[in-house]
Amino acid sequence: MTPHSPGTDQIDTLLWIGFVAAAILIVAINGALIYALRRKHAGEPEASEGNAGQRVQLRVGAVLAAFALVVFVLSVIYTDKARETPTTGSAGLAAARSKPLSIEATGQQWLWRYDYPNQSFSYYKLVVPVDTTVELNLVSTDVIHTWDVPQLAGKHDAVPGKVNHVVFRADEEGVFRGQSATFSGQAYGPMRTEVDVVSPEEYEAFVEKQKSEIQEAQDRVVGLIEKGEVP
Amino acid sequence: MIAERPRRAPAEVVVDGYPRRQPRWIEIATSADHKDVGRVLIAGALGFLFVALVELLLMRLQLAVPENTLLTPVTFNRMLSLYGATAIFFFAIPLALGLFYYVAPLQIGARGTALPRLGQLGLWLYVAGATVLYAGFFFTPPEAGVNPLAPLSELAFLPDNGVDAWTASTGLATLGFVLVAINLVATLHRLRAPGMAWRRLPVFSWAATICSWLLLAIGPVMLAAVAMLLIDRNFDGIFFADGSGGAPLLWAHLSWIFFTGAYMLVLIAALAAIAEIVPVFARRPLSGRGTVIGSLTAIAVIGTLSWMQNMLTAPIGIGWMYFAMAMSLALVVPFGLVIFNLIATIVGGSPRMRAPLLFAAGAISMISIGLAGELEQSMVAVAWRLHNTVDATAATHFALVGGSVFGGFAALHYWYPKLTGRTMGETLARISFWTMIAGTLVAFVPLFLAGSDHGQVVDAYKFFSGTGVSAENLIATIGAFVLALGIVLTLANAIASRNGGARAGHDQWGGDSLEWFTLSPPEPHNFDVLPDVRSERPMRDIRAAIAHATARAEAAPRETQPVA
Repeated sequence: MTPHSPGTDQIDTLLWIGFVAAAILIVAINGALIYALRRKHAGEPEASEGNAGQRVQLRVGAVLAAFALVVFVLSVIYTDKARETPTTGSAGLAAARSKPLSIEATGQQWLWRYDYPNQSFSYYKLVVPVDTTVELNLVSTDVIHTWDVPQLAGKHDAVPGKVNHVVFRADEEGVFRGQSATFSGQAYGPMRTEVDVVSPEEYEAFVEKQKSEIQEAQDRVVGLIEKGEVP
Repeated sequence: MIAERPRRAPAEVVVDGYPRRQPRWIEIATSADHKDVGRVLIAGALGFLFVALVELLLMRLQLAVPENTLLTPVTFNRMLSLYGATAIFFFAIPLALGLFYYVAPLQIGARGTALPRLGQLGLWLYVAGATVLYAGFFFTPPEAGVNPLAPLSELAFLPDNGVDAWTASTGLATLGFVLVAINLVATLHRLRAPGMAWRRLPVFSWAATICSWLLLAIGPVMLAAVAMLLIDRNFDGIFFADGSGGAPLLWAHLSWIFFTGAYMLVLIAALAAIAEIVPVFARRPLSGRGTVIGSLTAIAVIGTLSWMQNMLTAPIGIGWMYFAMAMSLALVVPFGLVIFNLIATIVGGSPRMRAPLLFAAGAISMISIGLAGELEQSMVAVAWRLHNTVDATAATHFALVGGSVFGGFAALHYWYPKLTGRTMGETLARISFWTMIAGTLVAFVPLFLAGSDHGQVVDAYKFFSGTGVSAENLIATIGAFVLALGIVLTLANAIASRNGGARAGHDQWGGDSLEWFTLSPPEPHNFDVLPDVRSERPMRDIRAAIAHATARAEAAPRETQPVA
């Protein structure tokens, strides 16, 4: 999958580093194993009681430790890069230049709700402006959910009573799909979400439209209650 | 040397056995003998391996094609929950413990265990736990997932009794494991034969000690967690409830400490069994014995400390994430050293390719793939991509199928003569082995791809068409059936060989540890005569002594009878 945010770029790089590290281990171990089993043997094995001595053990241990250390250091470097908050670009939303556009993402069985800064909200579909740093504050109203749109950001959990953060900056307009990634009960399988990356103008228009429609719907209900048509 | 103090040599040890006073099944059910308890644990574990396979295959059938409607979501979730509990609590852990419980007292030259009734109670708590889980199956099976994460497992979200059955069942089984571990610790510390110093203890008995202590550390953590969940659900507790002083992540921490520790336990048991098998079949002493034992101990400690590797997407501090990663990556050293020494032993020896060595080699190979996958999962930013994808399923299954199934089958083929007095069929073992290797690769390699390339999530009862994972899932389903076929062949082999296998001698493979000194199967008191242990390979000393005495007797045939 193609990364579409600076953070996922770093994740992608580290994924490849991890793949290489894993491949080295798999090839080395299985290669040595097959060599050992297929090797032609000469002489009495009992005679060659020379165990791999202390020095060999230390050397092998040191090589393994060095390997682990290299992987650890690279992981910390790329994880820290992936955690950096990017700044909003020139094509992005002007209002998000100084600090990220903050949107609350609420996990609930089995749907995501997004609350925008202007008090409007949407379900299932998140609309964000392109080239703009977006910070999602993940919360949950019931059980643990995991917000995961792999092309835009790393996955993070929404845990009841806690706030978790996801930061991304989408580099092009388009639709990105994701699926909740922690087992959350009956309809966990189809608990999906969608991020629509649009131009800043379209974003502004969307949240205004949502706000006015929500207001309209509320007014209508309040009107009905006042008329006594809704008990 | 033993030759200088003439004793009855093993070939002459003949005991008629005790008269049977009760039907066989009552004798076994009421026996506190570690061999009977161990055998029932092993047989029970293998039975539940079959049950877990059926559940896995049902789930794989559902996931064979996109948006399948074979199973309802609830049925799938119930299969998932039962599969998790069965595979971990009723197959993997009891298989390792059963082998420890049967073999370790024999290896240390003990005539029994220190607290036999406690071990027997442990077995029956395990049986009770399994009964509760599968009795609940007919009423309300659990449906909270492999690890019933709070708050989903709380009363508010799953009000029927399924989760209560899960808690009671796993609680009983865990308590049973802890009791068995207490007996093993007491036996290994107090009942070793004269001369059986810790430095001479066979690697598998060392592993029994390490795993028992590990269970004494992690078992109570799980017991506390299930007790809290029970209180939350039934007595208005608030341990895991958010907003009233509880913490949903508390369950995650406690349960992952147990599950991660149990994961390590299974791998330690498998590697230790392989470390017994490899020297015998390579006809060469284990390379770096001290290093292997030290590494197994390190795996228990460091591995359990890496429990937060499962929580890298949770709201915990980045420092703790790096700590979990450091522990996971540090495991490369002890695992690598153990595997290095196992392979070095084969390289220096001349291997006899019999079924135990074949399965042992398969176990090393599968475990290496699984642990390499786990290594990648533990890199923090990578976990943000791969966590809870089927890539993680693949890694865990490679490691646990490698450890529990391949490693378990290696141990089964190796100790089967001691367990039953018969050997398992070699041809069937080979067919089963290659079927299993093919099955494991075909079943789980596609999941690596579906998880890392397309982000397919775990535990979901369906996947959608157009997400690019249809081919991978279909192949994985076919592979799962091939794997199951291979496993069933070995289970059938074990059942058929029980009465139909070739009779085994007391020392079927030319082993170096003391379980091969006694009859196959051993009499209730294990040993008529206990040898003085003078080295870490007592059976080799005994064989040498017998050969020496025989040679002397042949030199002067009229004067003395040969000792053996």
